Amino acid sequence: MTDNVLELRKATKLYAGVPAIEDVDFALRRGEIHAIVGENGAGKSTLTKVMAGVVNLTSGHMAVDGAEVAPRTPLESRHLGIAMVFQENSLVPTMTVAQNLFLGQEAFYNRLRGIYIAAQQFLQSLNFDVSPTMVVGQLGAAKKQMVEIARAVLHKAKVIIFDEPTATLTPEEKKYFFDLVRDLKARGVSIIFISHALEEALLLADRITVLRDGEHVVTDDTVNFDRARIVQAMVGRDLSNTLYGKRKTTMRPAGERVLTVQNLKMAPMVKNNSLSIFAGQVTGVFGLVGAGRTETFKIVAGVLKRDFFHGGEIVLRGQPVRYLVPAPAVKAGIAYITEDRKVEGFFETMSIARNIYLGLLAKFPGGRFLLSKREADHAGADWISKLNVKSIGGKAKVVELSGGNQQKVVIAKSLVQEPDIIIFDEPTRGVDVGAIVEIHELINRLADEGKAVVVISSYLPEIMALSDRVLVSRMGKVVEEYSAFEATEEKLMYAAIH
Amino acid sequence: MKLGRVSQQGIVFAIFLAMFAGFAFFLHGFATTANMLALLQNVAVLGILGLGMAIVVIGRGVDLSLIATLAVPPGLVLQMVQDGSSLSLALTAALLLSIAFGLVNGWLIAYAEVPALFTTLATGLFLAGLGQALLFKLDVVQWSAGLAGFEKLGQGVVLGIPMPIIVFALACVVIGLLLTRTRVGAYIYAIGDNPFGARTTGIPVRPTIVLQYVLAALIGCLAGLVMAASVNSMPTRIYNSTWIYDVILVVVLGGIGLSGGRGGVLNVVIGTLLIGTLLNGMTIMDISYSAQNLIKGMVLLAAVIADSFLNPRNEETAQQGDI
Repeated sequence: MTDNVLELRKATKLYAGVPAIEDVDFALRRGEIHAIVGENGAGKSTLTKVMAGVVNLTSGHMAVDGAEVAPRTPLESRHLGIAMVFQENSLVPTMTVAQNLFLGQEAFYNRLRGIYIAAQQFLQSLNFDVSPTMVVGQLGAAKKQMVEIARAVLHKAKVIIFDEPTATLTPEEKKYFFDLVRDLKARGVSIIFISHALEEALLLADRITVLRDGEHVVTDDTVNFDRARIVQAMVGRDLSNTLYGKRKTTMRPAGERVLTVQNLKMAPMVKNNSLSIFAGQVTGVFGLVGAGRTETFKIVAGVLKRDFFHGGEIVLRGQPVRYLVPAPAVKAGIAYITEDRKVEGFFETMSIARNIYLGLLAKFPGGRFLLSKREADHAGADWISKLNVKSIGGKAKVVELSGGNQQKVVIAKSLVQEPDIIIFDEPTRGVDVGAIVEIHELINRLADEGKAVVVISSYLPEIMALSDRVLVSRMGKVVEEYSAFEATEEKLMYAAIH
Repeated sequence: MKLGRVSQQGIVFAIFLAMFAGFAFFLHGFATTANMLALLQNVAVLGILGLGMAIVVIGRGVDLSLIATLAVPPGLVLQMVQDGSSLSLALTAALLLSIAFGLVNGWLIAYAEVPALFTTLATGLFLAGLGQALLFKLDVVQWSAGLAGFEKLGQGVVLGIPMPIIVFALACVVIGLLLTRTRVGAYIYAIGDNPFGARTTGIPVRPTIVLQYVLAALIGCLAGLVMAASVNSMPTRIYNSTWIYDVILVVVLGGIGLSGGRGGVLNVVIGTLLIGTLLNGMTIMDISYSAQNLIKGMVLLAAVIADSFLNPRNEETAQQGDI
């Protein structure tokens, strides 16, 4: 019997040939609290999902109590004693606490009174202050989490994985959660938790593992870490990285102030956000997932619906605006290029040219009642060559293209509308390397042409390579601003995590 | 994807050809000019309704109130003329009623965001009830002298072709041009393909959805006028029949995916021809009404299953609650 309750060796998971984690070695000691930290996309979630059986390894080995295992479903992992508490609750909101606890384990004759009594005793034994007859949907985030933890313990989990457990908790609830975790540890349960909050990792964990770009960087006892060492390990990538290597040597000066956002509010993601965007430069907006960046700019572009009364002020070239749908924002010259091109980007059954032509029609309906095939072909061919979209002719359906080419179509569909303010949300997510370079060149060219360009990205090198000015967002608002010369990866990361 | 769509259309067309050839060979009296015209005439109204359904289905919606718009506004025309109004006044009233009804449908679906299925189920029921309770004196609204000449819309013959076929053909051309050649048509396909994408692109999604339902209501009214003119009355109880399923049958069988953004007028024509041949053949073979329903039910089931295999719906549609 080793003292490692869970072990991964050379764990690799490829998504469409691209590694999410590569050759990662990881060991969880019996009864320890182990924190996993890293940037967005570092592979934290993938690594833990492998353990929980949600994701299957492409290659590599996993062992529980020294015995080789390969769980293929969450249920198989649960039988191995591994439970995962997800960011999004996996409880049934319309059922009571007790029903949720025993979900999937009900006796054939499921006596409610029986499970209430059992749940009551069980919750008391854990010292959890939750009533088993409460409906889960009415509980707060902290209590829901308690129910999830209780369920994991009830399933006799020896390893519990928490994904961002404190993200939705208030400070007091966090404190209580920490006590809970320590209590679980005292019961001999081993804990893994993923966190963006480095203080929590330093405070709570026995050991910390840092991942970067899908690879294992360092694992060490918490006493050997401080904040600076973790941040350095998280961002300390090879600066000769060919793709992003060039530090900016010139900085475009700010042009006219085209967009001002003041005290923008939209619960729960955007909290009193204020920022300005200037013409003729690239404004990078950095932050971790959930920092309210996307939401802020979706409100600006009218993509997010919100109520009529709340919310602060958006000023576009001196005029206060409030868009309830994207159409008037598009007419006013704002283009929002989505981070999720499948859901709100392209039209999958249509040709590239038709996608681009629809963008044109939406912005400049003019007197057009009839469609013009010539105009459609012209716009299509024009942008296909401008953005170097590779396909088997303009007739190819967008769904058949590669991610990079799909992204180019989505960009072309917006650029054909001749916008002045162009908001790129994660412009290179799921895009191949060659297309990344081309998209970055395009972004620079747009700024040189005098457009106001916004690049929202969670990927530091992208922000560093593109931005003339960097806004750092945290917890729903912009907290720091740096010029391209001031910004360093460490500073940005430090500002983005609390 | 592409292959699947083509093959569904192709399969349906092949079935139509096989059935047609089979009937022509085995059924005496099938392959005659007179029977062909009768066949087409019988399904022309269904085909016109199919066009209305096609517009909303391509836009990722569904309109179950089509039969109500078929029955009530044309019934109103007959009733008003019977009561002494002029034909033009009656037609105007029917037109306005259809437009108003389409606007209500569209507003509920696009702005109040009630799923199309429930909206049109309820509004159809409402319109039919309105007609039966307040507008019409009898369940079957009778023809009257003031309508003289109007029956040509259903019974006239031009160059040997019955009028309903001509109306269907014209409607096909007009709707076909609307869908493929106009900005509105491009918007409808875009909304059916990806409603969120259409919204983000700046396409006026909600007004376009309203327009779809107004067009559907107008087409329903047109179909009703042709029908009333063919049979010299408007049996308003038709609302209680299973006709709406025949309309869906035509659209789905023709290969217009219920997930939206796909298909066109050609699919409606193919679906109409297949149903027309099937019904005509069954009538000549003297198959009982209930056995016909059984066969139609099986064909619709097969078509819907084939549709969900060939045009798989995505998560968003399922969650939206659209059909």
